[in-house]
Amino acid sequence: MNILQIVQILINGLALGSVYALIATGFSVIFNVLKFSNFSHGALMTLSAFVGYFLAASQGMGLVPTILVSMVCGALVALLGELVAFRRITVRNSPNIYFFVSSITLGTLFEGIVTIWVGANFFSYPRFFPNPTIKLGDLTISTSSLIMFLLSAAALIILAFVIQKTKLGRALRSVSFDRDTSSLMGINVTRTIQFAFIVSGALAGLAGVFLGINYTLYPTLGSLVVKGFIASVIGGLGSLPGAVIGAVLLGLVETGLNYAGTLQGFGTSYTPVFTFLIMLVFLLVRPRGIAGSNIQEKA
Amino acid sequence: MAALIQSIVIQILITVIAVAGIYVLTGLTGMFSLGSAAFMAIGSYASGLLVVRLGLPVPVAFVLAIALSVLIGFIVGLPTVRLRRDYISLVTLGFGEAIIALLNSATTLTGGANGFAGIPRVVTLPVAIVSAVVVVALVAWFKTSKYGRQCIAVKGDELAAKAMGVNVPRVKMIAFLVSVAITSFAGCLYAFYITFVDPSTFGWKQSAEWVIMVFFGGANSLTGSIFGALFLGALPEVLRSLLTGLEQYRTIIYAVLVLLIINFKPSGVFGEWEITQLSPKNLAKRRARKAAAKSKKGGAQ
Amino acid sequence: MKKKLLSLLLAGAMIFALAACGNDTADATPTPGGTNTETPGTETPDDQNPSAEGEIVIGILQDITGATSSLGQMVEAGANWAVDEINANGGVNGQTIRTITYDTQGDVTEAVNAFTRAVTVDNVSAIIGPPVANIALAIAPISEEYDVPVLGFAMDLACTIKDDGTPYKNMFLFQPNADQQSAIMASYAIKNGFETFGIIYNQSNAYSTSLLPNFRATVEAGGGTIAQEVSYGANDKDFATLLAPIINAGVDAIYVPNYTQELVQITDAARNAGFEGALICGLDACPPFNTIYGADCDGIYFINNVDDTEADLQAMIAEVKEATGIDATNKFFLGYDVANILADIIAEVGTDPAAIAEATANVTNYEGLTGNITIDPDTHMPTGLEMVMFTYEGSTPVMLERYTVQD
Repeated sequence: MNILQIVQILINGLALGSVYALIATGFSVIFNVLKFSNFSHGALMTLSAFVGYFLAASQGMGLVPTILVSMVCGALVALLGELVAFRRITVRNSPNIYFFVSSITLGTLFEGIVTIWVGANFFSYPRFFPNPTIKLGDLTISTSSLIMFLLSAAALIILAFVIQKTKLGRALRSVSFDRDTSSLMGINVTRTIQFAFIVSGALAGLAGVFLGINYTLYPTLGSLVVKGFIASVIGGLGSLPGAVIGAVLLGLVETGLNYAGTLQGFGTSYTPVFTFLIMLVFLLVRPRGIAGSNIQEKA
Repeated sequence: MAALIQSIVIQILITVIAVAGIYVLTGLTGMFSLGSAAFMAIGSYASGLLVVRLGLPVPVAFVLAIALSVLIGFIVGLPTVRLRRDYISLVTLGFGEAIIALLNSATTLTGGANGFAGIPRVVTLPVAIVSAVVVVALVAWFKTSKYGRQCIAVKGDELAAKAMGVNVPRVKMIAFLVSVAITSFAGCLYAFYITFVDPSTFGWKQSAEWVIMVFFGGANSLTGSIFGALFLGALPEVLRSLLTGLEQYRTIIYAVLVLLIINFKPSGVFGEWEITQLSPKNLAKRRARKAAAKSKKGGAQ
Repeated sequence: MKKKLLSLLLAGAMIFALAACGNDTADATPTPGGTNTETPGTETPDDQNPSAEGEIVIGILQDITGATSSLGQMVEAGANWAVDEINANGGVNGQTIRTITYDTQGDVTEAVNAFTRAVTVDNVSAIIGPPVANIALAIAPISEEYDVPVLGFAMDLACTIKDDGTPYKNMFLFQPNADQQSAIMASYAIKNGFETFGIIYNQSNAYSTSLLPNFRATVEAGGGTIAQEVSYGANDKDFATLLAPIINAGVDAIYVPNYTQELVQITDAARNAGFEGALICGLDACPPFNTIYGADCDGIYFINNVDDTEADLQAMIAEVKEATGIDATNKFFLGYDVANILADIIAEVGTDPAAIAEATANVTNYEGLTGNITIDPDTHMPTGLEMVMFTYEGSTPVMLERYTVQD
């Protein structure tokens, strides 16, 4: 194994990590505000990706219109989801687990709708990129992965700017810290939470399109949300930079383990076992995650 | 028709047993696991293998399989119960996925993705009924026992429970292991009823479905949790009879129903109500209390 | 207090059990099948009046909303297409065929309930089974207790044959089994000069793993070598890394017995990594793989049940697309053939399930779209059925060679 192969494996790991990162960013926006893991995020990605396909891509439109349609769809559906599945729970200040039960059921609902809607046929986006890969000497980089990496970074920077510098962002941080006090200070908590869902939903749409480009479109496409979940814990639940760092790390670790596993002849069988152990050690040694989020124990 | 009802009832009773286990963990103690189904898998595969490969008698195999699950549960539980609550679901999720990956890869032992067939069918309706009744009675007893009350204290306020001298990690561990033993037992019954097991049955979505059943019926009530299991367990088959030709909408109806309950009746269908409140002793108590209140009022007048 | 709870629960359970027994006696009177006036009670359980002309009821037990729903819905569409044609031409013996679809959601327990409902409540004459091994494996032992045949497509041998080598009396396979299909793919590869192979397969998918053993055996018997095998799991997407050891081993061809979505990702990853050798795939590389992949598919070899480049099949595909919006694939034709075979059998022996099962075991020389079907009564699998090897030129499928399955 030469240095070139190692670099290629690292590139593959980064590519996988950027898929996870795009999932994890949208996922942690909600965690940041409401402190729960939104399991409907995965099905929302699938749903938006299909809407983007039917309304834009299959009508002959290019990548940008498809992404826009999917993001708008994601944002609208997330807003609707907030209203039907989370509003009452938020208002009532119910324990965390209600959000979980509600979000997983909402995800089941979205997935059920998609399954019935798409039927027996297979779907995939047209090839948006004339060159699927970029060659750097002997190294291969997938174009869509590179774009995903850049988009995750861009999304992160924009979000960081919004959260740190704008009025809405300050409201978001304040609501994230304490809903009741924020409300007393004159912040419209419901609006702020709606804003978080719009952002998260738009990111779900964006992620959905890229999942579709990489992996074709099918109703259970969103099951990768589990990886976003793991990534955001490694990075520190609710921390946006943490989610991206965690995602990239998870991508690198998985790729490394996969490569070692295939060389030893047992494929990826033991990768989940090692990921589990790493996760466990991580949570015991540094339960705040890498970025060290500011979330207080509110058990 | 009889065969169908019998088959459905047995499957629902197995679900009831599993949900009783989840109730101990989630309803009583407030922890929640996305890896419970993995312990069901360990129960199924271990008991199945012990009987088919080693020829052990079924009851012995059940006991050994449950013991193995509890042992593995203990090892997983040691670090897990010390973690923040959010993380328990995550760690158990990772554990569940790891178990499934191992079941898929150990093909010589488990048959891998092709599943493990040829388990004898020994679970009949009476076996399932007796098992369910015994398990539910045990859980009801556990709820009223010292440990059960400690669990409820830990769920309500961990810090306060600690201040009152409750050994929080120990209580969490006990609840976790009771839950593991029960789900593992459900797994044994499942294997010896369906006669075929494959890893895909035991993913984290199965665990999540049980949690949903607990919350649907009422997380604070064992009666409610059991009702959740009975109702949501029977719902797909009931909808199948009602929606001839439209049964693909079952999942959607199921999801909408659960969303309605969680949002509009968050304490679940039964709230905190337990069926034991209907017992004559309790009713007499309540009547006495009412009477006392009345006479007090009367006295004041 | 606890005793009360216990007795209450017990009482509840008893009532449940009694209700079950009560239904038993009520339902035992009308024996299913035998006469032409048999009517299943589907909408309402007490609907026991035979309708004027009578109906023939066939169950379609498929995954409609689960992970393999695209396969299940395709079989369902094909079977219903055939039934509509039959009914439009006057039905069978003057009776119309009605199909009832049972959604298994790809879930074993759902499938067991659906099967039990089909045979005990709806009294179907026969069941068109799924192309998914896990479901068929779960149903096989239960089907022994009844007399209703399951005509399915699960290629794993254990779905049809018991451990003792005899077939399950009600389980039938209507396409070449996994060993036969993988042998064809291996023989074709060896014959065309491929010598070293890599294999990448999904360890959590029964279809994928069932196509392995006989591929290995046939390659090695033909003097080829398998240089590198790689397995992966359900949520693995990092195919660039997983393929690296195979590609570095400099193999002539990679064997990829996986589902369509994964095939697309693996093909993409292999081509992006500069692999120019052949990819040998199972049924899932059949069209519409080429349109999903969306680029040149040269170097991909795959097996199919039918030669769908023939004009009459192309016409049928166009007609189906026009009427239902479905892009018919091999699963459609499998469902279509089996529904027609069932109609022929019922025309001959009537609607009694046991008689249908017996006739199914003795199907000889049925000329279907998927070939000349003869069922071997000793294995309940087809003998001498043909399969077709294909490749793509650009994105156009090109028929290479017909293979008669060796037993």
